[in-house]
Amino acid sequence: MSNLHGKSMRKFWRTGEPCVWFTGAALSLTLLIAATLVAVVLVNGLGVFWPSRVALLELTDGSRLIGEVMRFEERPEGAGERLQLKIGNRDLYGLDFRWVNADEVARKSFPEEIVVLERSEHGNFYGYLRAVAAPGLDLPADLAPLEAFGRASVAVAERQRDIDALGARLAGLNSQLERLRLQLLKLEYRGRGGEDAAVLDIKRRRTVLKDDFEQLVARQGLMLAEQRQIRAEFEEAGGRVKEIALAEVVRLYQPNAMSVPAKAWFYLGKLKELLFAEPREANTEGGLFPAIFGTVILVFLMTLVTFPMGVIAAVYLREYAKEGLLVRIVRIAVNNLAGIPSIVYGIFGLGFFVYGVGGAIDQLFFPGRLPTPTFGTGGILWASLTLALLTVPVVIVATDEALGAIPGGVREGSLALGSTKFQTLMRILLPMASPGIMTGLILAMARAAGEVAPLMITGVVKLAPALPLDGTFPYLHLDRKFMHLGFHIYDIGFQSPNVEAAKPMVFVTTLLLVLIVLAMSSVAIRLRNKMKKRYTYSTF
Amino acid sequence: MDQNLLKRIKRRDRVARWVITAGGFSVIFCVALILVLIVRVTLPLFQASKAEVFAKLAPEALTQNGARVLAAGLDDYLENSYVLAADGSLSLFNTLTGELLGREPLAPPGAADALPVDLERSGAPLYTLLWSDGAVSVDALRFVPRFDERGQRSIVHRLERLGEFASVAGDAPQRILARPRKEDGVVLVRQFGDSRLLVTHEVVTRSLFGGESREAFEVELGETAGEVITALALDSDGSDLYAGTARGELLHWSLSDPQAPRLAERVQAFPDRRAITALALVFGDASLAVGDEQGGLSTWFRVRVAPDRAEFELRHIHTLKSHPAAVTAIVPSQRDKSLLSLNRKGTAHYDHMTSGRHLLALDALNPLAQVSLNGRNTGLIALDSRGEALVWRLDVPHAEVSLRTLFGKVWYEGYPEPAYVWQSSSGTDDFEPKMSLTPLIFGTIKGTFYAMLFAVPLALLAAIYTSSFARPRFREMVKPTVEVMAAIPSVVIGFLAALWLAPLLERNIASFFLSAAFIPSFLLLGVLLWQALRKIAPLRKVERGFEFLTLVPILLLAIYAAFALGPWFEQLVFGGDFKLWLFNETGVRYDPRNCIVIAFALGFAVIPIIFTIAEDSLSNVPGSLKAASLALGASRWQTAWRVVLPSASPGIFAGTMIGLGRAIGETMIVLMATGNTAIMDWIIFNGMRPLSANIAVEIPEAPVGGTLYRVLFLSAVLLFMMTFVLNTAAEVFRQRLRKKYGRF
Repeated sequence: MSNLHGKSMRKFWRTGEPCVWFTGAALSLTLLIAATLVAVVLVNGLGVFWPSRVALLELTDGSRLIGEVMRFEERPEGAGERLQLKIGNRDLYGLDFRWVNADEVARKSFPEEIVVLERSEHGNFYGYLRAVAAPGLDLPADLAPLEAFGRASVAVAERQRDIDALGARLAGLNSQLERLRLQLLKLEYRGRGGEDAAVLDIKRRRTVLKDDFEQLVARQGLMLAEQRQIRAEFEEAGGRVKEIALAEVVRLYQPNAMSVPAKAWFYLGKLKELLFAEPREANTEGGLFPAIFGTVILVFLMTLVTFPMGVIAAVYLREYAKEGLLVRIVRIAVNNLAGIPSIVYGIFGLGFFVYGVGGAIDQLFFPGRLPTPTFGTGGILWASLTLALLTVPVVIVATDEALGAIPGGVREGSLALGSTKFQTLMRILLPMASPGIMTGLILAMARAAGEVAPLMITGVVKLAPALPLDGTFPYLHLDRKFMHLGFHIYDIGFQSPNVEAAKPMVFVTTLLLVLIVLAMSSVAIRLRNKMKKRYTYSTF
Repeated sequence: MDQNLLKRIKRRDRVARWVITAGGFSVIFCVALILVLIVRVTLPLFQASKAEVFAKLAPEALTQNGARVLAAGLDDYLENSYVLAADGSLSLFNTLTGELLGREPLAPPGAADALPVDLERSGAPLYTLLWSDGAVSVDALRFVPRFDERGQRSIVHRLERLGEFASVAGDAPQRILARPRKEDGVVLVRQFGDSRLLVTHEVVTRSLFGGESREAFEVELGETAGEVITALALDSDGSDLYAGTARGELLHWSLSDPQAPRLAERVQAFPDRRAITALALVFGDASLAVGDEQGGLSTWFRVRVAPDRAEFELRHIHTLKSHPAAVTAIVPSQRDKSLLSLNRKGTAHYDHMTSGRHLLALDALNPLAQVSLNGRNTGLIALDSRGEALVWRLDVPHAEVSLRTLFGKVWYEGYPEPAYVWQSSSGTDDFEPKMSLTPLIFGTIKGTFYAMLFAVPLALLAAIYTSSFARPRFREMVKPTVEVMAAIPSVVIGFLAALWLAPLLERNIASFFLSAAFIPSFLLLGVLLWQALRKIAPLRKVERGFEFLTLVPILLLAIYAAFALGPWFEQLVFGGDFKLWLFNETGVRYDPRNCIVIAFALGFAVIPIIFTIAEDSLSNVPGSLKAASLALGASRWQTAWRVVLPSASPGIFAGTMIGLGRAIGETMIVLMATGNTAIMDWIIFNGMRPLSANIAVEIPEAPVGGTLYRVLFLSAVLLFMMTFVLNTAAEVFRQRLRKKYGRF
């Protein structure tokens, strides 16, 4: 028996069976790492908006702390555990986070009346709502503070709408003023003096607009001051009282009193804010709308260029070029284009598009605005052209493969029926290859959505004052700088002054970007595999 | 059929053919354009310098009544030139037309009828004038550009007297040097006879109420007795004095204490005792330029005697191109480390100290007697032996860059030895940018090496398993999964590596070492265990093609065990703190963003690429080969290893090359997860600064057209070249493979 065992064991080794197992281990390790990555992003990203319970800690020295318990860990000096508490109230404490040794906590409770405030400045506030002062709203005096707060914030929101409407009018006036300023610059550049009729006309219009502008600003200021009269009184854990204007409060909630459906509703509200609102607090709070929008516009512009370029190049390679040295060189060129590091594309974009072409456009069309560059600085047009160059090989390779998978008989049949090569291409081959081309395009878009390095030097910014697409003429502003999800991750994760407080937002952004990119590439790969199945039977 | 229609169709076909062919060529064009453009930006780095004679001013036009010209100078825009003449006048000329713009007399410091007889020029510019009565005056001349409301520039000059010194009875000085002190006041050094050096400090103390009191300290330096002093140099705030002797000795005094100058050093500069004929301090006052009677030009600065000693000594650092005759004057640039030097034959050299580049050699019809640079190194004015003034326009782009400074070791000021340094900017004005690409290339190679060390085995083994052993159903699932992995943006990987993995690893570094040992040994144990278990028939049935699933729990167990035992292991082997242990034992500081993190992150980014290409080529090996091998009795491993793998080797090679290219060029991961410090060592616990991250960090701040901008483009060219070679090699191999099997 033992002999038999030994023999089979030896055979097991000799045939190299363990090696098979080791190769299998390599695969499982690879997949495990990938799964870990996705899991880390999911776990950290999904939980960010779920309102967690807020604890009231009574310490052994008698002081009290309110905050969210973030994590436990071993104390660096060894003895026992410590816990990280998010205490918020940056304006009062200076820091958002605090470490507390576990053995110093005398009592821990979760009182329902604790409120959490999300504010437009200074981060969260944790404490108790004490009273609401709303002059001009005549709230009943015996109203519970929370009820009063609810009514007052409805009123505040209404007034805020008026103020926002005023703000929109102000922005319109501002852009008109800016246009007049540029017209004036242009006239001055053409040598028109101060007495010229056109110059005088512009100056007159500008005075009128300025007057309007100032009146509106004054009115807005009044409304804001009135708005700030409505205040609420809060008390932090240590008993200090803080008055906060309701206009500064984004959201108030009592996480310890919320039921699960309420929390889910809250979560959805936060998601909506994430997708459709502007960022706050140096991008570490609020929404991602400008970044999402910038990414979408960027990818869209890139697609407009990369799609025709890639398809034409692939059609040339597969249908028009004769096999030979030239085609080999083109293929090598395509592969090299795919392999050039993205930062080199960025450098090229900076040197050629931004300073070369952009500089020339400024000299030719906007000489009056110089030395302030219009196109001679990074912008969405140059960034998308750079990305188009970067992603063109993806489309070429995919289209090339798709065309190659079409059986030769199809071409021959079409040509035999008397159609020209171009007709065959347009009516037969491209429609047949369209899933493959789509695949390439989607892969290219996914790549573009995730690429950051070349954008960093061709026009992405951490906070863009205006979207590249808006309601003022010429609607699509190709010279504008833009925000981008990938750069957002880099920026708030690495350049933010308060990395710890920014972390949740980075994870959320990461999750969003990963979801977008993975969804796009899964669809593309699915399409491709389907198409492969459709034609492979006839290729060989 | 309608002939017109046919014609139109045919025409359309022809047009399409042209358009599509042009489109095909545009790809080659794009690659070429990218290369040409980035190379073109870098070319000026290596351009030769140019000098052209811009204007000539005749001797008779320069001064009145044929007075001797003592010095000539030029403003920064080459618009005005001026002349200080022996009749005590300063004359200003329009450089281009030679028109006299103004002439003013200089006030004599002593007797009213004294005339200047000699002067010394330094800095921006500062003139020390010796008058015929032995008195000395110190005058600063400044040109200030002024802009009127219409943006027109005019240049205004200002003459300011900084100090006056009475003559010393009995003797007329041979050489004079004066500089403003760091605090208020002036330092004057006078050389009498061959060797007597008299140092005068005029210290100005201002009282609280605006009153001034001047105090003079006069000390004679005693160390020069018996020597013949042939050259003197004083630094820009008068705190260090250097003298060269006829016997080739260099003396250095520290004058920082006005009452007690101290001889800091005395070195025999040249063993053959040749005379030192010219001295000057290079911009920044750290290096001393020494010209000798044989025409040699060298620079010296003070270096620590030994790494652990606090004493410094003057050492010969750079040797510049030699002159054909004795060097008579050295004029340092006021902007960088360039030097203009003049020899006895009347020709001038323009050299850059650090890069050692000989930039220009200038000569004229008549030998040059005196040269002077303007403040921006854009122009040079020289007086020839006839007294004619010649103005050259200089075009010296990027003098500080040479192949040696880019790739070789350079001995920078303040460094104990030649080194590879990348340090492109700093807070101070006289800082010298240090742009060695070697540490960056090294960083790229280091990061790529560790990443490939992690990625290649994992990706290739996984590809072998997927193509040869896994069930087709799994293969159809695994391949798209890995391809989706490839789409994960590198900014995400970099962010996770830097903000999640790096701190995790820092806390659990011992567990990491343990898991490196545990994973293989647990696998081995697992395989042995399975060998015992597979005697049970139902288990045996499901075994094939499911190995990798079976292994997942074993791997998880190994990792869990490593994490559980990590603290204990750290306590046992490293005394509880690995980082401390590492520092005490080897002197290596643990950097949280180190090569282990990079290996994981960068490796993870390239695994899908290598995997996909390798897997493709492995599964494209014709089935007949596999079938034949199996039919001859080879086991599945033997077939995979000995038959399939060699056949697919070009594809595997291609995949590895492409992965390598991607790792070299990857930017965001290394930017976020390395420390970005440009150090050169192979230690895995340190970070690095790769080329790609360096570009991303520095290009936003690089002024367009400046040296840094062009050097960054040069590093982009290097990256392009590296990936070009790798990708071309990969493609050539792939084409060969395609030929071999007829399809791919």
